[in-house]
Amino acid sequence: MSSVEVQHQQPEPATSLIPTLPGAHYTDPAIFEREQSRIFQRHWFAAARSSDLSEPGNFRTVDVGGESVVIVRGRDRSLRAFLNVCRHRGARLCMEDSGTVRRSLQCPYHAWTYGLDGSLVAAPNLNSMHDVNRDEYGLVKVALREWLGTVWVCLADEPPSFADTVQAAVSGRLGDHETIEEWGIDELVVGRRITYDVKANWKLIVENFMECYHCATIHPELTEVLPEFADGYAAQYFVGHGAEFGEEISGFTVDGQGGFGKLAGVGESHDRRYYAITVNPQVFINLVPDHVIFHRMYPMAVDRTVVECDWLYTQDVIDSGADLSKSVELFHRVNQQDFDACERCQPAMSSKAYAAGGVLVPSEHHIGEFRDWVADAISD
Amino acid sequence: MILVGAVSEIPAGESVRVQGQVAIAVFNVDGEFYAIDDTCTHQDASLSDGWLEGCAVECPLHAACFDLRTGRPSGPPARKPVRTHEVVVVDGQVYVHETIGTEVEVVGAVAEEVA
Repeated sequence: MSSVEVQHQQPEPATSLIPTLPGAHYTDPAIFEREQSRIFQRHWFAAARSSDLSEPGNFRTVDVGGESVVIVRGRDRSLRAFLNVCRHRGARLCMEDSGTVRRSLQCPYHAWTYGLDGSLVAAPNLNSMHDVNRDEYGLVKVALREWLGTVWVCLADEPPSFADTVQAAVSGRLGDHETIEEWGIDELVVGRRITYDVKANWKLIVENFMECYHCATIHPELTEVLPEFADGYAAQYFVGHGAEFGEEISGFTVDGQGGFGKLAGVGESHDRRYYAITVNPQVFINLVPDHVIFHRMYPMAVDRTVVECDWLYTQDVIDSGADLSKSVELFHRVNQQDFDACERCQPAMSSKAYAAGGVLVPSEHHIGEFRDWVADAISD
Repeated sequence: MILVGAVSEIPAGESVRVQGQVAIAVFNVDGEFYAIDDTCTHQDASLSDGWLEGCAVECPLHAACFDLRTGRPSGPPARKPVRTHEVVVVDGQVYVHETIGTEVEVVGAVAEEVA
């Protein structure tokens, strides 16, 4: 799609400028708490890459909606998630971000001991407490799904339909249910992971990822590879549209050269194009012909978000010992440029100048849907 | 003699707890049955809830390991052995013949090993 066609496709908006959320939504700890309980505890949350937990006993702890969740692979090789809280006196079971246990999750306080399936296996003197039904004191389960090689958890007692939320967000952007399968994301392996500790509210990062109005200004390398981004329309402005590589570009790399062979499943119509998908509330996926870039955002405070970014390649590329640096460097620079911009905005969110918020230009109007989704979620 | 149950009800790698003068844990190790006192000598925990490793059971609380054939702990944190009990299988039924007396005879030897 050429830039001319892009512009012709856009109907003239009734109003060029529409409002953003007010500044307080990015700075007020009370609003952040509300988002924790209303958004992050109620929706599916991408917590980890499944391969982070490849062996029985591997665990990861993740903060979700203000709760600590422990995800562990059982001896039956199934993944399960639990609230990371001992049912006895409430001590946190696993203090480490990740690790391996042999057979059980044991509270370091009084040694209440849980199987990797969450059942209470043993506790000191438990056998002399004949009235205790140990089935009632297993770890509190958290719903878990695996999709796209990703572990998704949901703290809600009755999670929303995974198909109607997460999978619908992906198919809604790509235009159908099948296209995402072409990249075979669950079979790809992590070639590189970079974790960014960003001093900005999570919504600034999501909103930044959704638009490309900034691309020509802060992303010179990306705009070189994807010339249409200079027009300011992000891939997420459209349904089923991939931004096309420039004519001189041979790969999605920092200098536009090299790259790896197209993934076997990616069809010709998706070759030499870049697709981007945001899945509310905290996932950003980039699809290019030879790899996938998968961002998981972890809101830690109203003004701090940890972003874990995986660059995913085929096992063959990894096994070949190929140099990934040019491939990784392109989006690593984009990330740094984006997060610098978000950190530049964060202090200004509490300014008198931004009390009523800012504005979205036409090429950013689709952010209005995210704005309304957030506002609805936290309203009474 | 205490009836534990049918052989078919205690699969290999599994254990059953029965009540004698004290609780007794019965283990099926690849078709061979062993019985020991169920309570760990380190802290009150049920060894039948523990994990079988070959011919030993590991206490679920603090990983004390007891040899099912001798009742001896392999090392700290347990220092005292558990009693062992004779197991017999008659007509497909598993029985335990509880060792009389609660004192264990090999305390001295184990204390020496563990020290």
